[in-house]
Amino acid sequence: MSFIGDALTILRKDLLLELRGRESLSLMLFLSLLLLVIFNFALNPDKDNVSSMASGILWVIFAFSGILGMGRMSVAERDEDAYLSVIFSPVSAESFYLGKALGNLLFLMIMECFTLFFFAILFDFEKIIGLLPQLLPALFLGTLGFSLVGTLFSFLSTASRYGEILLPFLYLPVVVPVILGGVTSMDMILNGKSGEAGKWIQLLAVFDMLYLAISLLVFRYLIEE
Amino acid sequence: MKTDRTITILFFLLLVMMPLDFFLIFRVAPTEKVMGDVQRIFYLHVSLALGAFLAFTGVFVSSIIFLWKKKIVLDSVAGTCAGIGVLFSTLVLITGSMWARPIWNVWWTWDPRLLTVLILWFIYIGYFLLRGGIADKFKKAQYSAVIGIIGYVDIPVVRYATKWWNSIHPLLSQEGGGLDPVMKKVMLFSLATFAVLTIFLFLFRFRLARIEERLEILKKKMED
Repeated sequence: MSFIGDALTILRKDLLLELRGRESLSLMLFLSLLLLVIFNFALNPDKDNVSSMASGILWVIFAFSGILGMGRMSVAERDEDAYLSVIFSPVSAESFYLGKALGNLLFLMIMECFTLFFFAILFDFEKIIGLLPQLLPALFLGTLGFSLVGTLFSFLSTASRYGEILLPFLYLPVVVPVILGGVTSMDMILNGKSGEAGKWIQLLAVFDMLYLAISLLVFRYLIEE
Repeated sequence: MKTDRTITILFFLLLVMMPLDFFLIFRVAPTEKVMGDVQRIFYLHVSLALGAFLAFTGVFVSSIIFLWKKKIVLDSVAGTCAGIGVLFSTLVLITGSMWARPIWNVWWTWDPRLLTVLILWFIYIGYFLLRGGIADKFKKAQYSAVIGIIGYVDIPVVRYATKWWNSIHPLLSQEGGGLDPVMKKVMLFSLATFAVLTIFLFLFRFRLARIEERLEILKKKMED
């Protein structure tokens, strides 16, 4: 089988697991809804300030719900050493990583669309739905960065005795450039300065490529016994 | 035992260089016109930053070689370097803050350079959290090497943060042309002193790590 084909097989496996167990995605959606409600009463938004707060709130929610979901995904892999059977199969470590990262990307994107929808309702900010096509590049590239780093680090953290608890400590500092790029570009688009967002979207793309290259190079060392 | 001798030599070298460096900073270097005496902290701040940069580069390089050669001693090198890097970057943050209070009128502000250095600090704290959480030596080495490599991505971000974003952090390279020749010489001497200090600390801590390892092996043998 090919490199991409193997990755897609792993992706299919994760999708099947999720469809049957509904573990990580439902947890992510629930957490993001909860955070939205908390932000809503904590920050008390009104028509004037909601557009300046929106992207900050959204990316914080994306980052935290993402951590939860990606942590669950790799715990499922570590439980009973399920990932060992993948190592012994002819699938390469790189395909395995790519498949897992694609799965995380997909779940994160679903969570983000869900969050955006409820954000529009709870914060009375329908404008964000209309701007979705414009927001999509930043959203996609930012999420890609999250899933690339998150997949790598969730495997790292579950190996330690602290387990998933360690994930945010490793993951958040490293993805700060991604959060920065995501927040700033989204903020510019929401506040009618979409022309300046291009630079930030480029930054996101550069970091995604860096993370992809490094992760593909080092992932094999995380699962080899 | 060659290391022991190098450590001794470096120790005596520092015994001369360190007081001389402080003498140069506080007595010889001219007082800056606008900032006054506070500016003298630059000599330490920049030198500490150089030390931190050297140490984190050490983590990065030894992590790569570890994954390639699988020699556990390289993990001790990386761990030792990371410790020095965290120490120095903590001091960079503290000295920067001490300078910012009278000049910017705040202890801390959201500037790209400040943010990226703080993030760097968090990354390597995470590195130590991970190391503390894995019992298996080889696994610990392998996993921390991965962090040591991907965490280094932040270094170019720190370097270019002042260029990419509108930073209020002073740039030495830009003002280099206008820098007073005496100031420049004091700065270079300070940089050299702290580079020697970094190497000294590294060798000292590395030797300690090796002794600890040997002790553990001996303890195990006694138990058997």
